[in-house]
Amino acid sequence: MTMVRIRGLHKSFGSLHVLRGVDLDVNRGDVLCIIGPSGSGKSTLLRCTNLLIYPDQGDIFIEDVKVNSREVRPEWVRQQIGMVFQQFNLFTHLTALRNVMLGLVRVKGMDAAAARSKAEFELERVGLAEKKDAYPAQLSGGQQQRVAIARALAMDPKVMLFDEPTSALDPEYIHEVLDVMKRLAEEGMTMMVVTHEMGFAKEVADSIIFFNQGQIVERGSPEEIFDRPGHERTKAFVGKILR
Amino acid sequence: MVQRRWLESLKTWVPRWRSSVTGRADFQRNATRFVLRVLAGLGITALGFGLVIWLGTLRYYNLGYAESILPGLGQGFLVTIRLVAVVIPLGFALGFLFGWARTTRSLILRGLGAAYVEVFRGLPPIVLIFFSYLITTLAILNISKNPFIAGDVALWMGAIALSLHSGAYQTEIIRAGILSVPTGQIEAADSVGLSRWQTMFRVTLPQAFRVSLPPLGNEFASVIKDTSLLNIIGWLDLAQIGLLQVPAALKADFNLVFIIWIEIALLYFVLTFVVTKVVRFVENAYKVPGLEAAEL
Ligand SMILES: Nc1ncnc2c1ncn2[C@@H]1O[C@H](COP(=O)(O)OP(=O)(O)OP(=O)(O)O)[C@@H](O)[C@H]1O
Ligand SMILES: [Mg+2]
Repeated sequence: MTMVRIRGLHKSFGSLHVLRGVDLDVNRGDVLCIIGPSGSGKSTLLRCTNLLIYPDQGDIFIEDVKVNSREVRPEWVRQQIGMVFQQFNLFTHLTALRNVMLGLVRVKGMDAAAARSKAEFELERVGLAEKKDAYPAQLSGGQQQRVAIARALAMDPKVMLFDEPTSALDPEYIHEVLDVMKRLAEEGMTMMVVTHEMGFAKEVADSIIFFNQGQIVERGSPEEIFDRPGHERTKAFVGKILR
Repeated sequence: MVQRRWLESLKTWVPRWRSSVTGRADFQRNATRFVLRVLAGLGITALGFGLVIWLGTLRYYNLGYAESILPGLGQGFLVTIRLVAVVIPLGFALGFLFGWARTTRSLILRGLGAAYVEVFRGLPPIVLIFFSYLITTLAILNISKNPFIAGDVALWMGAIALSLHSGAYQTEIIRAGILSVPTGQIEAADSVGLSRWQTMFRVTLPQAFRVSLPPLGNEFASVIKDTSLLNIIGWLDLAQIGLLQVPAALKADFNLVFIIWIEIALLYFVLTFVVTKVVRFVENAYKVPGLEAAEL
């Protein structure tokens, strides 16, 4: 069953045509990795998917509900979709626990006690139960990113979007975040991941998209994209990042 | 239940006042510091008065006369406190609303905020006070012909004019605070599903206040002393009562003029001191562990 379906997506910033007709399907439980050069529009694609920015043209369906429509509240859409950012973006004035609790109390309307135990459970899942009272500035990058993942997971999203979740991390912390993501994939979470961690993509991805200049150049299994890419551009790009 | 919700929201507003174990200890430390600081301020003031009295007992000036003016100054002090109690909250409310307006997407609100700042920051407070006084008096006399009502209302309009002036400065302070919150915070709030208002109150403002509070304290300290401008329209505040004593003092003993002004200075000092320590207390409550370079 299709969890995310994107059709004919276009987005411009002024005269800059960033997304040029994107068609995309992600099945329930699948992990889709998106690779491509800087500025090709990968982040813009993810941001359109959870309506952080509105596309100019095209349709986005989550479980066959068209979400970029006037009848659908963007808050509701974003609640269905978890997002993890390159720069973590934890709320700096709240502890790890409060970061996770905020959406539970304010968006889901849970009472404080229920939200607390749910938040503690989510922090436990990413291995940070003992850091629940720490503020973001007191955590390492890897820990912050795991709290960010817990914050997104707590909302029980149908899809998780990851925008280069490990690019801002010191090498020693990358694996702890990737491990959490791998476990999530094993548990059957539907995921769209922009990443240049080829090891992760090879191991976890069900399919990989090579994205260039606002378009999908090709899509295939990890073996197809990495070992026998069909396009010259893909070959050149993959050659560069695998080196 | 309703009350619980309200309490809960208060706790997010002032992040460190929440019920975690560390939070309670920090609150106590902050509260202790506040009390100690206020005591220190009162101590300094008392010392100042002690010095003045001591000089009097040494017969450097006429102590009996100096004492006789104190009740009057006390009355003036109470008037000044009343003015401060109106001007600071009102100025803050204005600054908060217009500062917020200036950061919204609405062009109309932004324009309104900008116009407010330009007008009320650009005109000298003394002019604003005079104008509002005169206009109010004329307007009310035209309607009711009762000069007593006109006088009272016009006096308070002067205080409001001063609030408008201070509010213009505070608008910019609040705006700076809101602008200091990175867009990533808003995106994160959006992606969790918070509404625009929730994002404003739960994410943006608590972080904005952290940045705005020190300059706000500055502005409060400044406007406390600016209330002395209000005596030009007839407020019998601390400075004015002092001024009125000067001719008699000159006749009795020249040194008394100094004493009058020293006493006035001490009273303004203690008021400013207490208010800025309250701001400091709130500032500490908004502190985020690990974020400030100058934390130690
Ligand atoms: N809010 C915006 N306003 C104007 N231009 C934007 C905006 N967001 C992105 N762009 C532009 O759109 C293009 C695509 O940006 P995007 O962030 O989607 O690229 P990306 O593929 O994620 O790149 P990277 O790998 O560097 O993150 C870039 O040229 C960028 O400058
Ligand atoms: Mg990007």
